[in-house]
Amino acid sequence: MSATDYNAMSDADFRQEVRTFFERNYPEVLRYILRRARWDEMRDWWRTLYDKGWIAPNWPREHGGMGLDAGKMVIFLEEMERHGVARPPDQGITQVGPIIMKFGADAQKAYYLPRTMSGECIWCQGYSEPNAGSDLANLQTSAVIEGGEFVINGQKIWTSMAHDSTHIYLLVRTDRQAKKQEGISFLLVDLKTPGITVRPIRNIAGHEEFCEVFFDDVRVPVDALVGKLNAGWTVAKALLTFERLNIGSPRRPQYALRRLEMLARAKGLFSDQGFVDRYTALHLDIEDQGSLYSRFVDQVKRDEPLGQDVSALKIWGMEAWQRLTELLVETGAEEGVIEGVRDVDDVGVDFLSTFYYSRPSTIYGGSSEIQRNIMAKYVLKIP
Amino acid sequence: MMINSTGSEHGAMLRDSVADFVARGTDMARVRRMRADGQECDRALWSSMAEFGWLGILVPEACGGLALGIAEAAIVAEGLAGTLVPEPYTAVAVLAATVLAKSRNGEMRDGLLRDLATGKSLIALAWQETAGDIEVDTIAVRATPFEGGYKLDGMKRYVAGGVAADGYIVTARAGREFALFWVPRGTPGVTVTGETLADGRPTATITLKDALVPRAHELARGEAARDAIETARDFATVVASAELLGVMHRALDMSLNYMRTRVQFGKPIGSFQALQHRAVDLYIQRQLASAVLEDGLRRIADAEDARTRAAIASRVKARCSEAGLRIAREAIQIHGAIGFTDEYDAGLYLKRALVLASWLGNAALHRRRYARLALEAQV
Repeated sequence: MSATDYNAMSDADFRQEVRTFFERNYPEVLRYILRRARWDEMRDWWRTLYDKGWIAPNWPREHGGMGLDAGKMVIFLEEMERHGVARPPDQGITQVGPIIMKFGADAQKAYYLPRTMSGECIWCQGYSEPNAGSDLANLQTSAVIEGGEFVINGQKIWTSMAHDSTHIYLLVRTDRQAKKQEGISFLLVDLKTPGITVRPIRNIAGHEEFCEVFFDDVRVPVDALVGKLNAGWTVAKALLTFERLNIGSPRRPQYALRRLEMLARAKGLFSDQGFVDRYTALHLDIEDQGSLYSRFVDQVKRDEPLGQDVSALKIWGMEAWQRLTELLVETGAEEGVIEGVRDVDDVGVDFLSTFYYSRPSTIYGGSSEIQRNIMAKYVLKIP
Repeated sequence: MMINSTGSEHGAMLRDSVADFVARGTDMARVRRMRADGQECDRALWSSMAEFGWLGILVPEACGGLALGIAEAAIVAEGLAGTLVPEPYTAVAVLAATVLAKSRNGEMRDGLLRDLATGKSLIALAWQETAGDIEVDTIAVRATPFEGGYKLDGMKRYVAGGVAADGYIVTARAGREFALFWVPRGTPGVTVTGETLADGRPTATITLKDALVPRAHELARGEAARDAIETARDFATVVASAELLGVMHRALDMSLNYMRTRVQFGKPIGSFQALQHRAVDLYIQRQLASAVLEDGLRRIADAEDARTRAAIASRVKARCSEAGLRIAREAIQIHGAIGFTDEYDAGLYLKRALVLASWLGNAALHRRRYARLALEAQV
């Protein structure tokens, strides 16, 4: 059990401690990298966090985490974003770890949790498929029990950082007769298992962040199953709302906003009414998002569950972020479409990376359209 | 969803009693009657609002008020705006009351505040002169010393509550200073004319031609006068935003209900994704507006300086004006042809949103003001 009870600290003290640690220890070259970080780059930082006892801020202390309550967790994430700290391939920490804690067998906990923290197990998420994107419940990758083993066949896609991972957590179809959501199970699979092929896909930013993962008669023991057979949909859904709060943090667009402000000053655009009008509207869009975000954070701090209306934060925040990067590229004019870090009146801006980086935000984690469907149904209750 | 900045039991009780008052004392038929008659204020209803203490919500206890804060005034204003109560609550109980409460002339001030709080006297602030300009430096009405008092000359525009008012607090330039004067209705040289706003309420133009006021009617002067006007303007700007939120609540709820019940192609129109997504976007606007308002109410009461206070007010009014107008405009579209009829209430909400959005500065004005105040833009 971790020694320090961070929740007993005042918010201000905690924030200061986190900030100081990041400022002293996080590598300067990896600040604000505007893409998903690769494991090779992040290995040392992972080790630094692990040694400090900070690799799993969201995990309870009995499992070696920091045991942060929601309020402290928000501060931790805000400070990461403030300092431009990249997320390592941390789906084991943010996703599968908590799932194993909640639904896993004791043996799974004992095996996977320590290894996930140490970085021995790096996880990727095998949910989407070529024909199961927004319609995730339509997934077809199958697992059939044969001789005490699951035999997995099918294909996953848009699997972020699979090429850097050692393990994958999977949603697979285990009952073809059941209704869509009810025939799905949740499995933990070692990517070294024979029959698995990982193929990276280059994205429009030129990075290889997501992959295809093929399963060809892949045999894993039945104890790969987390939770009950055919209950995988419930297992996977358990974590979604906090994600949408985290994703809606107004800190995320700060890099683009700050660059745009520096650029506008350098170019004297703050005396151009046309520019000022557009800039201010965007600035307020993001500031006002901050007010909405704080309201949800307060709700979390009061231990009230977040409802589906937290989707508002993701929809608004991500779309505002995109509008901001569009104005940044436009302000860069010809420079705005040249690759790499551009020097414009002594301000260094990577226009295109900033622009590309914001693009998938309205697609991943449930597209903006799917979020709107969810809100219409569960919040507005229109038929 | 509603304003809960005062999250207190007190705030909740106040909200309940406003809802109860609205349910018993007013309805859309009354709103429509007053619109037809061009009536700005029903003094019987006004008196009962006074009995609840709402007119004196910002008035010191010594003058018969409740001495509560702007957050409470916002709760009342939001509740009244939900059913489009036409009475000039914010103009009197926030704009005029704040100016008076910050005035220096003790005797005159206390008497006026007492009459304002009891509803005996409907007092309006006449300060603005130019459309699209809410700064006090452009005030041009002159006060010239004359026979132991002052002679006022000039024109005040867009005075809310001005047609029904029993008297005016008039801002003027006295030499190099600002000054505030109490000008009772009927003062020779004062002409009041009304024009009809989109929502049927009148807006007043006050013409002052050699209007004589005694020295005792000077309420404040110099920096104190400037501070009083600017504080009142910023507070009223935020409370007008709360009115807009009240309008948003009803207008959007009305649209959502219609989407649940109106059947076309054999199913409720709310089942069509194009309309669902439109509704979600409107809902997000309402959520943003209410979060910004809540934030603004929490921070404006102890803003450390005038610039910060003004920036908070502008941020709130910019969002609420834009969101209010959008929700009310789209209410018409979602309802289709019925929404465009005078008989249906959606149009009344749009019209009130139009008026509230422009009153004390529209979204475009407040975004520019915010850019100057908070982002240090030089335009």
